[in-house]
Amino acid sequence: MHRIRRWVPLQRLREFSLVIILIIVVLIFGNQIDNYYTPRTFNRISSTVALITLVAVGQTMVVLTRNVDLSVGSIVGFTAYYVGRYVSKNEDMAPLMLAVLAMGIGAGMGLINGLLVAYGRIPAIVVTLGTMAIYRGVLVEYSDSKSVATRQLPDWIKELPQESILKFGEYELRALPAIALVAVIVFFFLLLYTSLGRRLYAIGSSPEAANLAGIRAPRMVTLAFTMCGAMAGLGGMLYLARFGTITVDAARGMELQVVAAVVVGGVNILGGSGTVIGAMLGAILIGTIEQSLIRMNINEFWKDALLGLCIIIAVTVDRILINQLTPWWSRTELQRMPEEPHAAV
Amino acid sequence: MTADPLLEIRDVSKQFGATKALSSVSLSLYPGEVHALLGENGAGKSTLIKIMTGIYQPDSGEILLQGRLISLHNSAQAQKHGIAAIYQEPLVFPDLNIAENIFISHQRRNPLVRWGKLYRDAEKVLAQLGVALDVRALARGLPLAAQQTVEIAKAISMDVRVLIMDEPTASLSIHEVKQLFGLVRNLRKAGVAILFISHRLDEVFEIADRVTVFRDGQFISTAPVAEVTPEQAIRDMVGREIGDIFVKEPSPRGGVVLSVKDLTREPRFHHINFELHAGEVLGLAGLVGAGRTDVALALFGIAPAQHGHITYLGKEVHLHSPKQATRMGMVYVPEDRRQHGLVLPMSLMANISLPSVKNYRNQLGMVQRGKEVTTAEQYRQQLSIRTSSLSMPAGKLSGGNQQKVVLSKWLNTKPHLLILDEPTRGIDVGAKQEVHRLINQLAQQGMAILMISSDLPEVLAMSDRILVMREGQQMGIFERREATQEIIMAAAIGQTLNMAESAVAHA
Repeated sequence: MHRIRRWVPLQRLREFSLVIILIIVVLIFGNQIDNYYTPRTFNRISSTVALITLVAVGQTMVVLTRNVDLSVGSIVGFTAYYVGRYVSKNEDMAPLMLAVLAMGIGAGMGLINGLLVAYGRIPAIVVTLGTMAIYRGVLVEYSDSKSVATRQLPDWIKELPQESILKFGEYELRALPAIALVAVIVFFFLLLYTSLGRRLYAIGSSPEAANLAGIRAPRMVTLAFTMCGAMAGLGGMLYLARFGTITVDAARGMELQVVAAVVVGGVNILGGSGTVIGAMLGAILIGTIEQSLIRMNINEFWKDALLGLCIIIAVTVDRILINQLTPWWSRTELQRMPEEPHAAV
Repeated sequence: MTADPLLEIRDVSKQFGATKALSSVSLSLYPGEVHALLGENGAGKSTLIKIMTGIYQPDSGEILLQGRLISLHNSAQAQKHGIAAIYQEPLVFPDLNIAENIFISHQRRNPLVRWGKLYRDAEKVLAQLGVALDVRALARGLPLAAQQTVEIAKAISMDVRVLIMDEPTASLSIHEVKQLFGLVRNLRKAGVAILFISHRLDEVFEIADRVTVFRDGQFISTAPVAEVTPEQAIRDMVGREIGDIFVKEPSPRGGVVLSVKDLTREPRFHHINFELHAGEVLGLAGLVGAGRTDVALALFGIAPAQHGHITYLGKEVHLHSPKQATRMGMVYVPEDRRQHGLVLPMSLMANISLPSVKNYRNQLGMVQRGKEVTTAEQYRQQLSIRTSSLSMPAGKLSGGNQQKVVLSKWLNTKPHLLILDEPTRGIDVGAKQEVHRLINQLAQQGMAILMISSDLPEVLAMSDRILVMREGQQMGIFERREATQEIIMAAAIGQTLNMAESAVAHA
């Protein structure tokens, strides 16, 4: 048992339990909905999940530092519109350049959030609540309340969501989920194997200790917000690809799904612990529940209420489990501590 | 000690508002020495540590490292110079594992984390200390001693040359202290200069090479440990001028209001016994962390005791909530008045009537402002609260006036028992005298008063009897006429000595 405790961090256990919950949820829906286990269902859910995941990965950076970014929905909406308008005028723009443009716009918006939070010392919830409205307002002003229509877009972008990367029989991994998966892998590496990532954990885990350790927290926090904005920008471009028609209302309320995915995925809202794998699992759970409820033709309002209920249950169960397990799981004693240390320093 | 000092502090001063935390203190640390720093609460030890680690900047004075002037603007700079500190409450990252905690400050140099190497290096550092810890374990949930070991390992990994240890033994068991001292001796052998702060004199005399005493932000003495006696050290630590302190006039001692038997709440305090009479002021002395506030919290029902009996006004009571205690006529004025004593944005007047607001309602349940004004005005005059208006937000008042508002608020509930926790901390001399006069008046009116204070002259001047606590234990109750600052301090730091004799010896 000690060996398991040593090699399996609590976080893995948490993610494992999410997978189990996910399986149970899928089994329940499969039982309730006819023709549930089909490639169509899978594609539908996976596109939704891909968008949430992409933005949730960025959000994870911010939440790890004890902050939150509520403006991501507006950033997604703005970039989706801006990129759509831009590409309809510059049809021969390379896809990669378009992605860079989208991420650049998002990063700029995230940078503003980050500077205000880190150097302006304004609580993140206040700053991003404000910029959520401001970025949306900028979109309304810029768009003059007109929409981007699917027919204005070049073909490659319209076809991107149907693009198949890998095939397993009838099931296929399409472009959107593949991009999200790449983002998860990149950020997983960033958080686990770079000192930058470890410092993000350190800041959220104990700001006082981080300060004493000489970590420049404001810089790190600004960077986290900028990365979050960039991911939301990329999310905006994929949102455009998926829906084609972009109104000023695009991605409104998405920030709630994203924050929910992060929290359900076991990223501590008080900072310091959590992984992007968890955030992805959270996004899968939330996307699955949402899309399945739509399939069941459940009234829009009840759908949101049920989603909310699921979030509360997931987080409560997680909290209870973790609180029960933590003291036991992380117990470690000073082993072999001799009476008098002998070795010279 | 023929070598040059490693670190020299010259004439360093630091002021916070009106209080001089440090006035022109000097101290030098030699390589391979353990230098103990002694002083009462508020002597300026913590301020000095913060200056040495770059958290505070001194107002004047200089810091020299190996004879070269250095300036420390943040803790990263202090670390670069090889100055590190370990605190009583270790500051680890609970969500990071032990290896990461040890090497957190090295990270800037290598952008990629090589986990295998990190774990091996961490094990190496810990092995140097003669300790084995699971370096993959999260720091959350580690016992305090292990957390401290991690901090020491962190310091060593940074090639520490000056290590400051701020009361590192305060929450350790005897066994753990022994281990810690083993580490300290190893560091000394390796040529590290150690500034060791502790309230336990026996430890200081065991481990230190030299002893420096501060009092009220001033340098008092430095001497090799062999040339100092515990008695002398204590005298240097206390010996504060009694000065202008208002001295309590004796008031007739009434019946027993509160009787406490065997009161225990592990691990905070155990077997506390005392009686408190009407009209009496019982001083509760001891160092920070001795468990005095915990006793007060238990009496007031905030953190109830596990064992023991509390008899209040002749009846045994079991207190489980502050509401219950308030209803029975007890009042607790906490130390941190800004956080626990006042609703800062609310007016002075509303603060005063808050606990007794029921008495200010009319038939419709609305608060009668006129009645509130009358009460507030009455206290303003009685306690000479200086404010331009009764509707001034409490947060805008000076510390002394805030304390008077807190007192008014509770006096208005007409209590039998008043528990004061550091009633004059951080308020100026004039307001202090007024608070003392007020305490005296209340005692004369027959109120029983329990006063926690770290200010020894205050305790001696205001109390009829003084109960001294040390690390959760009751060290004794002293009558005012037999108590001196030295006796109280000796009890508070656990020295059994005959001050009268030593005083003669040094006369």
